[in-house]
Formats: sequence, C-alpha cells, structure tokens
Amino acid sequence: MKTDLRYRLRALFRRKAVEAELDDELRFHLDQQAQKYMDSGLSREEAGRRASLALGGLDQTKEECRQARGISAWETTAQDLRYGIRSMRRSPVFTVAAILTLGLGTGAVSTVFTLANTLFFRKLPVHRPDELVCVQATRRHSQRRGWVSYPDFVYFRDQAQTLKGLAAHYSTAPLFVTANQQSQEINGAVVSANFFPLLGVQPGLGRFFRADEDLVPDRDRVAVLSHEFWRDWFGASPHALGATLRINGADFTVIGVAPPTFRGVTIQPDEIYIPLMMARTGFRWCHDALASGCTFLDLIGRLQHGRDLAEARAEVGTLASNAWAKVPEDENTGATVLPARGVSHPDLTGSAERRFVTMLSGVAGLLLLICCANLAGLLIARNSARLREFAIRAALGASGARLIRQVVTESLLLALYGGSLGVFFSLAMTAALNALFYSRDVEGHPLYFDFTPAPGMILAVLAVSALCGLLLGLVPASKSIRPASPGANGRLGRWLVGAQAAMAVALVAIAALLTAGARAQIAGTNFEASHVALMRLRPRLVQYPPERAAKFLRAALSRLEALPGVESASMVGNGAVLIGGGAPVSLSRWTDSRAIECGYIEVAPRYFETLRTPVLAGREFDGHDTVESPPVALVNESLARRFWPGGQAVGAVLVVKGRPHQVVGLVKDVPLQTRGEPTRPYVYVPFWQSPAQVDARLCIRVKGDPAATLPLLAREVNRVDPDVPIAETMTLPLQMAGADDVKEVRITGAFVTYAGALAVFLSALGIYAALAFSVSRRTREIGIRMAVGAGSGEVRAMVVREGMSVILLGTAAGFGLAAAGTRLVRHLLYGTGAADGLWYASAALLVAGAGLLACWFPARRATRVEPIVALREQ
Amino acid sequence: MTDARIELPQGTLDLLILKTVALERQHGWAISERIQQISRDVLHVQQGSLYPALHRLERRGWLKASWRTSQNNRRAKYYELTRAGRKQLEAQAGAWRRLSFAIGQVLDTV
Repeated sequence: MKTDLRYRLRALFRRKAVEAELDDELRFHLDQQAQKYMDSGLSREEAGRRASLALGGLDQTKEECRQARGISAWETTAQDLRYGIRSMRRSPVFTVAAILTLGLGTGAVSTVFTLANTLFFRKLPVHRPDELVCVQATRRHSQRRGWVSYPDFVYFRDQAQTLKGLAAHYSTAPLFVTANQQSQEINGAVVSANFFPLLGVQPGLGRFFRADEDLVPDRDRVAVLSHEFWRDWFGASPHALGATLRINGADFTVIGVAPPTFRGVTIQPDEIYIPLMMARTGFRWCHDALASGCTFLDLIGRLQHGRDLAEARAEVGTLASNAWAKVPEDENTGATVLPARGVSHPDLTGSAERRFVTMLSGVAGLLLLICCANLAGLLIARNSARLREFAIRAALGASGARLIRQVVTESLLLALYGGSLGVFFSLAMTAALNALFYSRDVEGHPLYFDFTPAPGMILAVLAVSALCGLLLGLVPASKSIRPASPGANGRLGRWLVGAQAAMAVALVAIAALLTAGARAQIAGTNFEASHVALMRLRPRLVQYPPERAAKFLRAALSRLEALPGVESASMVGNGAVLIGGGAPVSLSRWTDSRAIECGYIEVAPRYFETLRTPVLAGREFDGHDTVESPPVALVNESLARRFWPGGQAVGAVLVVKGRPHQVVGLVKDVPLQTRGEPTRPYVYVPFWQSPAQVDARLCIRVKGDPAATLPLLAREVNRVDPDVPIAETMTLPLQMAGADDVKEVRITGAFVTYAGALAVFLSALGIYAALAFSVSRRTREIGIRMAVGAGSGEVRAMVVREGMSVILLGTAAGFGLAAAGTRLVRHLLYGTGAADGLWYASAALLVAGAGLLACWFPARRATRVEPIVALREQ
Repeated sequence: MTDARIELPQGTLDLLILKTVALERQHGWAISERIQQISRDVLHVQQGSLYPALHRLERRGWLKASWRTSQNNRRAKYYELTRAGRKQLEAQAGAWRRLSFAIGQVLDTV
C-alpha cells in the first residue's frame, strides 16, 4: 500500500522524470532487440523495424504503461483541462457563444428559483426557524385565512400543549409618527410581549417589552424601533433610547432597537413595534381592539420540543371550536397550523402567486431548454469539425472512452464558466426584481421582498449548468467518436435550430401581447389616467370623529378645486380610486340569497368628470345628494345589462347592501379585468350619503404634470389642517402600474421579453453555426460548382435557401406555439384579441429577419470560395 | 514464427515475470528473452504487454526497480523481487499447480 502511494505520487509530481525513464527503458529494449536481429544477419534498418514491430508500437506501449502506473485519472484530467482551455482559446466565437448561452439560461432559472424561494420557502432569520408555525383561523366561505381576536389569542396561548409558546402580532399597523421635527406614516406592528423572546431575537440596543408592559390596556406607551427607522430618524444614535415619538396622536417612549437582521415576520418590514395592550393606538377599525368581536391578530408559535406540525394542527383544530363557541357573531369556523415559511402575507400565499411563479418557472425552463438545444447544436457542429482531430488521437492510442472523457471535460469546463456567468446574471436580475417589487401596494403599504439569491442557490446554478454540460457533452461526444453519418449530425442540428426559431416566435409574440396589454391597462379604457393626481387623507389615524372629518374633507376639496392648475377634484370613500370594494346588490323583489356581489364605490360629486368616464344617461352625483336626501346610485353598463336586460336602468330601484337606491345615471364600463374574465358590474353611491366617512382617497385632475403638482396640492391640504396625515401621494398611472395584477403582468412581460430576445439571438446564432459548419464541409462541392460556372449569386442563394427553409418552417410552427402560449397567459392579457394576429406576424417577421441576417455571413463566405484552393485542400 | 506457440492465458504473465526475476535481477528485454527460452519458444510473450505488466507489479510493491549498468555498458532498468513479491510468487505458483493438476486429472480420467 505504501509503495503504491509513493509510486503514484512520484508518477504524479515527477511526471517528466518518470516519462524520461519510461522512454529510456523502452529504447533500451528496442536496441537490444534490434541488436539480436542484426546478429542474425539483418540490416540495421530492417532490424530496427522488426524490433519496433515486435514491441507493438512505441506510443501505444507507452500509453499502456501510463495506465498501468495508475495515475491516469488525475493526470488525464489535468491533461484534458489543459487541452480544453487550449481548444477554447482556438475557437473564441464558439466559446463565447456557448458560455453566454449557458450563462443567460442558468441566470434566468436561478432568478425564478430565488423568486419562488423568497415567496414560499425561505425561513425567517431567527433562532431555529424550523420550529416556527403560523396559527390561522379558517373561514367557511373564503379561501383566505382569518384573523383572531385578543381573547381567542389568550385562549390558544394558554391551552395549546403542542406549542412551546404563542405570540400575537398585527404587522400592518399604519402609524403616523412625529419625531425630530418630521412626520410620516410608517408601517408598524402591534406585538405581544412574548413576540421577541419567542422568536429568539436579541435587541440591537436597549431592551424589548417586559411582560408587565403588556398587562394593562393603554397604560405602557413604549416602542421598539427597527434598525432602519433608528438609522433614518435618529442617525443610529444611542440617545434614541428614552426619546419621545408621537404615534397616532399619543406620546411613546423608545426603549429599544431591533437588530439589523430582523425586519418583522411578514412581507412588509415593520418600522416600529408597540405592545399589544396599546392596540387601540394601532388598530382603528374596532371600538375596542381588545374585545372578543375584534379579529385582527396574526399568531405565530413555536412547536414544543419533539412535537410536529401534524400534532399541533390536530390539537389546535379541537381548541378552535371551544374558543369560538363563546363568540356570538363569528366568521371563523376553525383553525389550522402552517409552517412559517416564505412570506406569510394574506394576499401572497394565495393561488395567484403560485400561478405567477409557476408560469415564470415555465418560461425559465423553456429558456433553459432553448439554451441546451442551442448548445447541443453548437457542440455537434464543432465536434463534427473536429472529426479529423479525433481520428488522429485515436490512431495515437487514445481509447474511445478516453476521447469521450476529453469531450465531457471540455463541456464541463464550458459549463463552469457559463454557470459563473449565470450567477452574475441572476444577481443582476434579482436586483432588477427588487426594484420592481419595492413599491407601495394599493393600500399604500410598502412592499418589500428581499430577492437576494441564497448561497445554496449559487451552488444550485453551478450544479444545473454542470449537469447541462455533462448531458450536452455526452451526446455529441458519443456521436463524434462513431461518426456513422456526418449528415445525421447536420440534420439534428437543423432540427434544433427550427425548434428554437419556433419557440422564439412564440416567446416574442407573447412578450409583445403582455407588454401591449400592460400599457393599455395603465393608459385605461373609458377613463383618462394621465393628469390625475392621487392622495389619501387619513383623519382616522388621529382619531377624528366623522363630523370633524367631514368638515375637513369638504374644506380640503373646495380649496383644491379653487387652485389655478386644478380642473376638477373628487374622492372615493372605500378602497382605491377606480377599484373600490364589493357589495351585495339585488332587486327589491329578490330574496337576499339571490343578491349578486358587485363592484361598489362611494364617490363624491365630479368623480366621473375628473376621470373622464362618459355618463351615458342621467346625471352624476351633486351637492344635493346628502344624508337627508333619498339614496341614489349610478350603475355601469354591465350592471344595467345584468339587472335590466333590454330595459331602462335610469329611474329603476336597486337594493345595495340591503338599502333601496334609485338609479339616477348610467356610466360606461371601466374595464380593469383581463381577457379571461367578464367585465365586472359596478354600482356607485354618493360619498356624502354614507354618514360614517372619515378617510378618503382624492383624485385631482390637473392641467400639467400631476407628479410635479402633488407637493403643491399636499401643501394646500395642510393649510386646511396640518395635523391630518396625508399618504399615498402618487399619480393614477402609477397606481395602475403598481396594482398587483398589473405588476404581475409587467414582471411576466419583462421576463418573457428577456426570454424572447434571448431566443431570437440564440436561434440566429444556431442557424449561423449550422450554416457555417455546413459551408465549411461543403467547400469542395461549392468549389466544383463554381468551377463549372455557378455564379456567386447562385451559391449565395443556395446557402441562404438551406438556412431559411429551416427558419421559415420553425417560424410557421411558432404561430401554433404562440397561439397555445397565448391561452396559457390569458389571465394576464388585457383588451380584446383582435390585434393578436398582427403581433404574431410581427414576431415571425422579426425572427425570420434575424435568421436571414444569420444566413448572410456563411453565404458570403461561400461565395468567396476559390475553386482552385478548395479542390487542392482535400 | 511457428503456429505452435501459445498466447498466454489471462493473468499468467505476472506469475512468469515473478518467477523469472526470482533468481536474479533482470531488465525487461532479458525477462522477455528468458521466458521465451525457458518455455522453449512455446509461450509467446507479447513484448508490448510485458512493460505495462512490469510497471503494474512495481506499483503493487512486488517488484523493485533500480537503474544499473548492463553487460554492454548501458544504463538499464533492472527489476528484482521484493519480500512481498516472493510471497505472492509462492501463493500464485501454488494456486497454478493445483489448478493445472486438477485440470490434468479431469482430462485424464474422463
């Protein structure tokens, strides 16, 4: 064993000496043998020849001796690597194309992996995140999970045996904060005192809440800052401890700062934490936030040691019915336990995100497939061109396995470079994703995803590309060692190019549809988004009663309308402008169960004038529609068609939320839905006929740039009442672009555009490689053709025909693929399908154009073949 | 070259090499000549396969190699048996004898 190792090491590290010895030894043998033959009377030359023959070839014997030395595994790999690098340098175009192809493909795949990981799988950056679970209420009629009340939380916390601890949090609390002479609405969290200890988070500065600070309602006004808030508002000064913050009208004392690694447990980073007993400051939708009827809390727990998710789920399920038997009018019907992974956000765990990520994965997979096809084509072409080299190496004693090894090593080398490039691409792309996602949702909360690839992801990228390299290396390698018919290789390569062209057409067409759709949706139909500024006024945050809020809102609106740059202004009482909320709508003779859920918006006078939505019949709301006057409503065309098919809507009576309203006007549909859905029926009721209005979202049509006018508008509102928080100051196109569904379209669109551009580039590259290969193989034939009188035009036409026939076939197939793909993304497409054909045709033209360009260079090279040189060459 | 010569059965070359160098250290060419001579030209040792076998045996530690001056005053690589090699030779030779005896028995009786 010891000699074996010493022998191998010597062979490995003193390769030159060992090789020289081998040479000496064999030469000595040959000389001796030759001497023997000469002694028997042969000439010197003949003796030498015979001796060499008897040995069976000097180089083959050497190779066998090297293998007998047993270090070949190491040595040949090193040799293959050296050889691989040399051959990569010799054909830079091929190398760059292959590395780029792999890099772009793996980069896209890892970006989607990162996205899926962030949304669904990532663990919280806290102590032993595997043990953490979310306890959620389930509801009978809704896919969405429910929230729980404070008494429910206490009951679960005290009863659950499978959980080591259970904490409650309300992580989307809008807190209007004044400190250090600045005021802003930020996203805060109301958390139970055991929240931080349960997660195992240590304070970065100061301390977290004591249990006794979370015992008596409204007593302990203490706050913990996030690291970011501390840095931005207090310049990371330790003097922040003990400072006073005014939060929603009450003074709080800062007691601690969270560590920089912790941003809360939901998708939205929390900037300030206050104790659960201060819930009345943070949650404003219930009269008493701690009463049993007020369900607003999320629960996060830690499993008891040795217990698993199933046990916890079983136990909490039985606890739920006991807890809720006491609550009179509850919506929660049960409870379930889920692992705390990814982003636990009610709107992000739904099926839409899964569908979104699944689709992106599909595109990324397709892209990787195209890249592989491209790379396979490139390698086939290149290895076919290297047939002669392989033949020579085989003659020199290299076995078939040895040659395959070499080709595979070369492919792996390419894959490694490609994978590294892929990592860089994915870093760039996730940065872009961060920029796309880091915005405000329609509710005005900042959305934050940290799309940074995990280190494991980077390894995965390298592994994926290595796997690609291995597969890609093996197929052409086995082909090139036994080149049964070189024509077959060419045919396979051309099939691959055709398939790529088809996929390119489909991707480009779908990218165009998505981009055009998103643009159309933002621009709007039956409304004019440009020149509309938005802002949200929130007197509720500072506890204004409805009368005081109404006075303020009326004053603010009239001040704004009096400004010289403002054409008109209006506002919405529930939900966002254009979107609103929902309500059950029926006719008076119907039973309640027949009621139809329709879109429902409370709008102030001049709403339709401000948005430029045509009123087809009747009138808009005006100042006479008040709490004292009879309830009135406006409906859109879809609702009118549904309730009074063929009949007259204006003048009819409609029951909205159980109250009869007289329809006084008919407006055009404002389609926000995608191609897969019917237009939603909408009912509009007067803002001022709802007595409980406090907050409002304003829409203001201005003459100039709405973004530039916004500060002026906000200042004007501040003059009316400087204490009322203003939030979500933005423009209507920005709101449209930021809406979840449009964002989905935009991200998908951007991704598909990237994929489409890449596919076009790759198929052009593929056809170029295939044709260049074909031309170089047919140099002799082309030479003969030209020698017997073919003009350069004919030769060029011949080559272009060869390439374009493949491209055009692929393009034609691409139409079918595009149509199929369009159905897959129907739920994202906006507007009618009338123009689809035009986009398909444009995509086909683009791909064909790129193909023609790619054909041109090999064709030109073919025309430059000198007949004499070509014939002499072989 | 006569047809009476027999190609060596798989695995027996190692045994022959070990036996040949058991008496004294030899270089490669001499080993091949010796095997040819002693077997009265019946066994045909492919010279090309001799050297890989020598290197293999050296790696296993059964042979030890050293560079020495040959009879005609040239540097040559000499192989000699190590202690492990001698053990191996005994084991292999015993096995071979038993095998050939058994085969002989079968051939003679049936």
